[in-house]
Amino acid sequence: MTAHGDSVGPRPLRAVPDGGYPNWEAVYQDNATWVYRTIYARVGNRADAEDLTAEVFLAALRPLRLTASVGEVRGYLRATARTVLAAHWRETLGREITSIDDIEQPPESEEAISTAPQRVAGVLGQLPDNYRQVLELRFLQGRSIKESAAELGVSVANVKVLQHRALRLAAQVNEKGES
Amino acid sequence: MNARGLRRYIDDLLAGRRPMPFRPDDFEAAQIRTAIELQAARLGSDAPRQEFLTDLRRRLAAQETGVAAPAPKTGANRRHVIVGSSAAAAAAVAAVSIDRALIDSGQVADRGNDSGSEQLTPSTGRWMRVAASAEVPDGVVHPFDLGTVNGFVRRVDGKAQAVSGVCTHQGCRLWFDAPDDRLRCPCHSTSFSPAGQVLTHQLPIAPKPLPTLMVREQGGVIEVFVPPEPNQPA
Repeated sequence: MTAHGDSVGPRPLRAVPDGGYPNWEAVYQDNATWVYRTIYARVGNRADAEDLTAEVFLAALRPLRLTASVGEVRGYLRATARTVLAAHWRETLGREITSIDDIEQPPESEEAISTAPQRVAGVLGQLPDNYRQVLELRFLQGRSIKESAAELGVSVANVKVLQHRALRLAAQVNEKGES
Repeated sequence: MNARGLRRYIDDLLAGRRPMPFRPDDFEAAQIRTAIELQAARLGSDAPRQEFLTDLRRRLAAQETGVAAPAPKTGANRRHVIVGSSAAAAAAVAAVSIDRALIDSGQVADRGNDSGSEQLTPSTGRWMRVAASAEVPDGVVHPFDLGTVNGFVRRVDGKAQAVSGVCTHQGCRLWFDAPDDRLRCPCHSTSFSPAGQVLTHQLPIAPKPLPTLMVREQGGVIEVFVPPEPNQPA
């Protein structure tokens, strides 16, 4: 029972006895953050990420057997998240925009949670400077159109056009990299 | 084609609003996918809010007790067994530590600026200019770096205030996320209010609030009291 150490690792997950979780609260406490982050990486906004995370836990905890190992519980949570996300896209945009894949890494690992930073770096590196800059300002730094215009030394209308074109090109580069 | 639906979707994503449903074509879907990845790549943006985690835990508790109460004792389910078993002690410990973590971060909001955070008071120091008064109107958070100390200055009810720009967990340098009006740590997704209070964290124990700095404003200049640079040749 001493496995409850408050160790602060690169990933702030508590150590849990191999026999599984003592109760549903421990399941929630240990897994809520990576489930939320996994979903956020695929919807890109807090409101949807919170709703879908809640849906995952509300659906998953009830039938969960607590005799399951930690690994099994996490695999089950990831599978539930996959279903919930797929339903979300069907309902809102009528097609699958992003998905939670089957992977070999443990679901709570950074590689499993999100590959967005690496993918984005790869895409931005292939864009012309002004396209890359406008996407960095608007998305990665969260700057307003006005601030971005001042930063780039162009008009507000120009930023809008630039952002529009940059996203189109980035999407083309991104899809090419995917196939 | 649905140019308007796409534009609105991207605008909503950027503004942190819930995007509206529409029917995108292939290329529009690709742009949404890329926009989501760009948005998700913003440092620290994917840390869940503490209030959300607390609230969901409450909802789950309601659901679980609602199920557990009428359930007959035939359930060989470990959740039921555990209550009377020797493992109950372990469960109690877990529950207690969970509660403490939640209460601690819940209290942060109630605590005043003064009680939670310490003031940074160097043994020897001097007043150093961090900004012209005009550069820090109400609502603006202005970063500064004086070598020995870096931080953020802002104006509250007309009065200049400053906090340290170093995370109280492991010392990573904070950056200001303007749309979310918070200081973010690049290391562990901890975030602080501009006043220095912890807003979100993923750590087992809530980090301390940011130290405040001594600030004065005179002659159209804002200054903070910081230690001098060590003047040693390399």
